[in-house]
Amino acid sequence: MPRSVKGSSRTREGVAGYVFLSPWLIGLMGITAIPMLGSLVLSFTSYDLLSPWEDLEFVGVRNYVRMFTEDPHYLHAVTVTVVFAVVAVPLKLGAALGVALLLNREQRFTGIFRGLFYLPSLLGGSVALALVWRAMWAKDGAVNTILGLDGPNWINEPDYALGTLVMLAIWQFGAPMVIFLAGLKQIPNELYEAASVDGANRWRSFWHITLPGLSPVIFFNLVLETINGFQGFTSAYVVSGGTGGPVDSTLMYTLYLYQSGFTDYEMGYASAMAWVFLVAIAIITAVMFSTGKFWVHYGDGSS
Amino acid sequence: MHRAAMSQVTSRRALLLGALSVPVLAACGGGGEPEAQTPAPLSTDPVELSVFWWGAEARAKSTEEALKLYTAKNPNVTFKNTWQGNQGYFDKLATLTAGGNAPDLFQIDDGALSEYAERNVTLDLTPYRNNGRLDVSKFPESLWKYGEIDGKLAGVSTGENTPGVIYNKQLCQELGIAEPKTGMSWAEFITWAEPVYAKSGNKVYGTMDPSADYKALWMWLRQQGKELYKDKKIGASKEDVTKWFDLWADARKRGAAPTADIIHEANGGDVTKQLVVTGKALTSFLWANQITDVQKNTKQTLGVMAYPGNPSAQWARAAMYFSVARTSAKKDRAVDVINFLVNSPEVGKLWGADRGLSANLDVRKAVADTLTDPTAKTAFAFETDMAGKFGQAPPVPPKGHVKARALLITIAESVQYGKASSADAADQFIKEANAALG
Repeated sequence: MPRSVKGSSRTREGVAGYVFLSPWLIGLMGITAIPMLGSLVLSFTSYDLLSPWEDLEFVGVRNYVRMFTEDPHYLHAVTVTVVFAVVAVPLKLGAALGVALLLNREQRFTGIFRGLFYLPSLLGGSVALALVWRAMWAKDGAVNTILGLDGPNWINEPDYALGTLVMLAIWQFGAPMVIFLAGLKQIPNELYEAASVDGANRWRSFWHITLPGLSPVIFFNLVLETINGFQGFTSAYVVSGGTGGPVDSTLMYTLYLYQSGFTDYEMGYASAMAWVFLVAIAIITAVMFSTGKFWVHYGDGSS
Repeated sequence: MHRAAMSQVTSRRALLLGALSVPVLAACGGGGEPEAQTPAPLSTDPVELSVFWWGAEARAKSTEEALKLYTAKNPNVTFKNTWQGNQGYFDKLATLTAGGNAPDLFQIDDGALSEYAERNVTLDLTPYRNNGRLDVSKFPESLWKYGEIDGKLAGVSTGENTPGVIYNKQLCQELGIAEPKTGMSWAEFITWAEPVYAKSGNKVYGTMDPSADYKALWMWLRQQGKELYKDKKIGASKEDVTKWFDLWADARKRGAAPTADIIHEANGGDVTKQLVVTGKALTSFLWANQITDVQKNTKQTLGVMAYPGNPSAQWARAAMYFSVARTSAKKDRAVDVINFLVNSPEVGKLWGADRGLSANLDVRKAVADTLTDPTAKTAFAFETDMAGKFGQAPPVPPKGHVKARALLITIAESVQYGKASSADAADQFIKEANAALG
């Protein structure tokens, strides 16, 4: 008998748990999970957004095959995105770490500076900022004027347009910077004191104390920023006026996906792209986690 | 559930009705002109129609006023108006349609009409034309027919429009350069543009490079007896397109047209970025009716001419259409509203040339008599002059045109930036555009 009492109270707790969870569950199911599954189904169809459902045709893996064999723009978009992520993410993290180190010292106005450096991230993916960016890199824009260059309109040059987007991403280093700052505070000061007693210079203590101590935070930022980097959309969309131009030079993966779905009415194909994207990001994240054990040190002794 | 079941019943009923009406229509078609019938009176129950269009604020204002006129005549009908700028309009319309919330009546252009009609989104208006609810008898025949796709009337033209080269008249005079004229060949036009750069002190180029503009390529092809689209494929050969790209590569080399980065700015289509507005070139390749919009963005006096080459390559083209969603629950009423908008002289006067030259010729005449704005007058005079020169209209661009149009921009730019040779680019365009059209 006691057993069944225990069982029923557990059930009741379980029910209560689900009741409390329900807003989140409904959101997950309604907004994320079910539409996601829907898009998985659609990725095997010729869904074109406009045709009535009766005309929906299953095309098997046709969309997936097309991506890799028949669509040079797709492969180009993959290249653009990888280049963007590979260049922008390390530079952004480097900038974030560098500024975090500078702001870690307690001096006057440090608080103000922290706030100021964080500011660009608040404006983050905003459309307004991308528009400002567009103006800044114009022929008679701020960049050319300040540097005293007779430079081109950087955004209109296929060779430089992606570079301006990389700069925009780097400039928004505030979020990882704040996380780095928090991580720096966690490193016990005694370690630095001991190191200086042993005669280590600043570079050595950075290399042997700061970096290992910070590695979980670096890892966290790296994973997050990489995912973010691959998903860059707003800046590319706004800066190129939705085209990914000039000559596809800013055709980020998500932008091409959007164009396929909403401009070319190939939602089935776009869904397939989205799923390849999801799998690719999952693999990249998994690879990062598997390499993490070689270089991420957790304070509790488990590496 | 109940609702869904209901709508299924209605749609079945609609299908059944549609099936029944086919023989009737066929019977009507036999005797040439369908017999004049009077449509059944419309319900006077209160009803709200959703209307969606793109445009600037001035258009929003004049459209709302026009719809108010309708409400004044039919107090039971009210409107839920939504409008936005051109950019993103079709994304929104597609999303609304996909979600089953297509507006009862919406504005569309001939770039998208096939995309929607071939996918059966738009209501076939032929029965309404036959029963008289939709009256296009005062339209030039080629103009209302330019709304037909696969034999179905998918949209009603709001007005007539033509591609036009908008040029800076004032600066021509200041630089002592003759104004360009309709009928100049492409070669003459480029030669006309060449000395501008030097004469303006290396500040202004003679002409925009329209090699990424599908309208220009289309016109150029038609002047050689070819079409941009034929049987749902690109109607030009690789050699044709190569020649087209070469023509403009040469113009850039001679300094008649600007460098790639400047052209790129204007290729986006934004009126404020057009070179005739930014002062980087004397001409822009646009639509003739856009002259009113462009004029608002510059202090210089503008003029308009046809695209170079023989103007008989042009045709009475619908500036834009109104279409009714096939899923609308208020189809008859929506058609009646369109009929009012395109045939009412009062609406014509409200709109001027904003949606093209009024499709109804009586309205057009009435509007012409009341115009006061000099730019609108210029546009009207140009279009009236062109009307006498029009050639045969081609079919409406097929499904896939939107993508082909975007491909032309990307690929023509690759030539402009020197990233590809004309021949390779032409090859790529034909291959990819055909894939998009197929």
